[in-house]
Amino acid sequence: MSGNDPAQTYRQEAADLLDQLEQALLDLEHTPGDADLINTAFRALHTIKGSGAMFGFDAVAAFTHHVETAFDRVRKGEVAASEPLIAVALAAKDQIRRLIERPDDVDGAEGAAILDRLAAALAAPANTPPSATTTWRLRFRLPRDAMAMGTNPLLLLDELRSLGACTVTADTSAIPPLEMLDPTACYVGWEVVLVTDQTRSAIEQVFLFVLDEMQLDIQQLSDRAPEAKPAAPPAHADAAAARTGSSIRVPAERLDDLMDQVGELVIAQSRLKQIAASSRDIQVKAIAEEIERLALELRDTTMGARLVPIGQLFGRFRRLVHDLSHELGKDIDLVLSGEDTELDKTLIERLADPLIHLIRNAVDHGIEPPAQREIAGKQGRGRIALAARHLGHEVLISIGDDGGGLDRALIRQRAEEQGLLASGTYLGDGELFQLIMQPGFSTAHEVTAVSGRGVGMDVVRRAIDSLRGNIDIASQPGQGTEITLRLPLTLAIIDGLLVRVGQGRYVIPLSAIEECVELSAEDDTRSRGHTFLNIRGSLVPFIRLREVFATGSEPDPFQKVVIVSAGEQRVGLVVDQVIGDHQTVIKSLSKLHADLGAFSGATILGDGTVALILEVAHLVEHGQQHVDTRQAAE
Amino acid sequence: MSKTILSVDDSASILQMVKLTLAGGGYSVVQAMNGADGLAKARGGGIDMVLTDLNMPVMNGLAMIRELRKLPQCTGVPIIFLTTESAANMKQEAKAAGATGWITKPFRQDQLLAVVRKVLGA
Amino acid sequence: MTVMAHANDQALVVLVLELQNESFAIETRHVHEILDPVPITTVPGADHAVDGLINVRGRVVPLADLRLIFGMPAQEEGRDARIVVIEVPIDGDPTTIGIRADKVNEVTELAAASLEHTPRIGLRWDPEYITCIGKRNGAFIAVLDMGRIFSRLVNGAQPAAAA
Repeated sequence: MSGNDPAQTYRQEAADLLDQLEQALLDLEHTPGDADLINTAFRALHTIKGSGAMFGFDAVAAFTHHVETAFDRVRKGEVAASEPLIAVALAAKDQIRRLIERPDDVDGAEGAAILDRLAAALAAPANTPPSATTTWRLRFRLPRDAMAMGTNPLLLLDELRSLGACTVTADTSAIPPLEMLDPTACYVGWEVVLVTDQTRSAIEQVFLFVLDEMQLDIQQLSDRAPEAKPAAPPAHADAAAARTGSSIRVPAERLDDLMDQVGELVIAQSRLKQIAASSRDIQVKAIAEEIERLALELRDTTMGARLVPIGQLFGRFRRLVHDLSHELGKDIDLVLSGEDTELDKTLIERLADPLIHLIRNAVDHGIEPPAQREIAGKQGRGRIALAARHLGHEVLISIGDDGGGLDRALIRQRAEEQGLLASGTYLGDGELFQLIMQPGFSTAHEVTAVSGRGVGMDVVRRAIDSLRGNIDIASQPGQGTEITLRLPLTLAIIDGLLVRVGQGRYVIPLSAIEECVELSAEDDTRSRGHTFLNIRGSLVPFIRLREVFATGSEPDPFQKVVIVSAGEQRVGLVVDQVIGDHQTVIKSLSKLHADLGAFSGATILGDGTVALILEVAHLVEHGQQHVDTRQAAE
Repeated sequence: MSKTILSVDDSASILQMVKLTLAGGGYSVVQAMNGADGLAKARGGGIDMVLTDLNMPVMNGLAMIRELRKLPQCTGVPIIFLTTESAANMKQEAKAAGATGWITKPFRQDQLLAVVRKVLGA
Repeated sequence: MTVMAHANDQALVVLVLELQNESFAIETRHVHEILDPVPITTVPGADHAVDGLINVRGRVVPLADLRLIFGMPAQEEGRDARIVVIEVPIDGDPTTIGIRADKVNEVTELAAASLEHTPRIGLRWDPEYITCIGKRNGAFIAVLDMGRIFSRLVNGAQPAAAA
């Protein structure tokens, strides 16, 4: 992408948007009511018009304005996306393209004709007459074995909802006490008040497959709309209004306090859950569940309150790059993406310094001076791309430059000089590049005012380590370097899976878990000496945590394998028992234990004891190495 | 993750049409040519719905449905059988054996997808 | 190697502990609380001397076995065993640690006049880790520098008992 000519940038952007618009219009022909498609079309038109005005494409902006207005009316529901409207929109799209690409060829009369057709299409009367609706009350109860026999009551309710507005109430009177409950049996009945323009037999069709065996009572209520469900629509509107816009400033410490308190609440609730589990009192159990639900909601809301878009941080770097590049006599473009990506506020604060270091490196060492770039056949203006996105349970932040790339030979040389590497040792790129983060390492021939002291990367590595993150470095000679920071999303409370290995209990972050499978005794013996498990045809390396933790205990007869992933790699962790979900309030480990890679922290269980939290990325790596050593030995 | 449908029929062309239709709807399809084969595939687990003809060699549809309902991994799994319009008593027998619903033959592709969506969801 | 002498006009308030019938003292300014033994979670892969974790009123605190730190043989805990929760600086950062003691004797004041430099020989504890020596009930008692002991442990050196 050339950064030079804004008009060219606009043309490319508009071309993409016109493609999007065309796709949306064509799809809209099939599903004229689809709100997403209408919005896509509107947004495309809106951007084409707005950017066009900014970059001097006045004719485009003026013309597009009319089409945008038309789709705004569709979006608001004032006008339907009728066939004639879509057809003229497609014609308008072609006209917009011509105005952008070949403005001199454009026929003004044709444009005017299109706008006339547009006006006509909008004036057409709405083609759906309001239909008469009836209000029905249904009471139904399925046979006890309906669910076991494959009927899903929730799908039935969904089907009723597709007929019209529904108010659903469950009749729980037939639910027996817990000890007598058969989990595959259907004890619940339902009462549904439905407002629909469909016929009675359409309603009965929903129950087609179970009609003969179920109790179904359908009554027609009067034709007026039923007593409105208490205030739900107005409340939603208020909530929506509140969401769009107003915010208040809160001192950061107050949010920290809130987080601490929520953490303590979660621990106490976990204790309550344990007590309720061994109680026979239904009311205690019900309340304990309710409190658990509320605690989780509070946890999520509080963590959400601490989220801040990374764009805030990125914005600061524009100036940095501008000033630095001038200082060093280089010409550099900073391109940002993923500014909306949200991170916990403490994470953002702690990323500022490492990112500044990395950007300085890119400006100073990465991007070559303009003269050198031209010799290499590159554009004189260098490019640094800063991007952020979520991937699974991590956030990925990358700093890429299109500079000269890392000099492998030089890195090797320096590493050997500094005793970090024995000469002749083979190192793949990934590992070689990691060496540049060793303390004191520097390949700079001179120390500039900006960097070169060999201090930056080590500091970055330590900062990222303290956030329990990882740094990946990729580079191509002559083409550039990309450094990717992988950070766990949340710091304070996570969903965890509690497992037992030997006598000890451990927590595995749920977000890292792909699945759990059983390890039968025969699989266990059969796989001794092998390090792979066959999971539905693919080979997954595994490690026995019993061995890694040296528990010295005998394996449980019914071991489980918890398959976890970090980035693209997976490994199976063999445990003695999977105990269950656990709301994990993360407590950091002290300096005495902080260097143990296998554990990212600790937590307090419902019975008051401490459980360690497994660091999945470390174990995945361990699993890979385990595999590599075994394979090397074979 | 898409849902998996076990399609059981002794007619290769029906199997093929069903597979194409359901795959187009975003479902994964496992096939079997008779009741015994269907039962064996269901035992492997991971089946979210069964679609079966009734008239098949080796083990017919009714027998297979009865056996499927004995498998714990099939509890709650919808079983849809194919039937001709006139066979009203067949519907009763199949339901008694444990079937969930039916599709009448001959059927169009959109009708098949509609029934699948009805009992299985998207 | 000199041992830091405290300002000699001030008495030192210490907690006297026993390990394997050897007594030693810790400055009370480092002591937070004393607990009865609680369930201990083992940390796989940690140095054996500090391979435990305990819950102290909602906080996760590492548990150290001074016996192992000082190279004494491990021993069964008696009825008088306690856990002393201390807070000491490790590399400058205040860190909470629990230490096991076979017996906790008393809190006492070591008179300023009794605080002396460490004699170099005949000493149970490595002089490196002693703040000073005081006299109690007619016998010498070492006041141990917990901060230094744990800083050394974190930074890799194994503090051993003097030969």
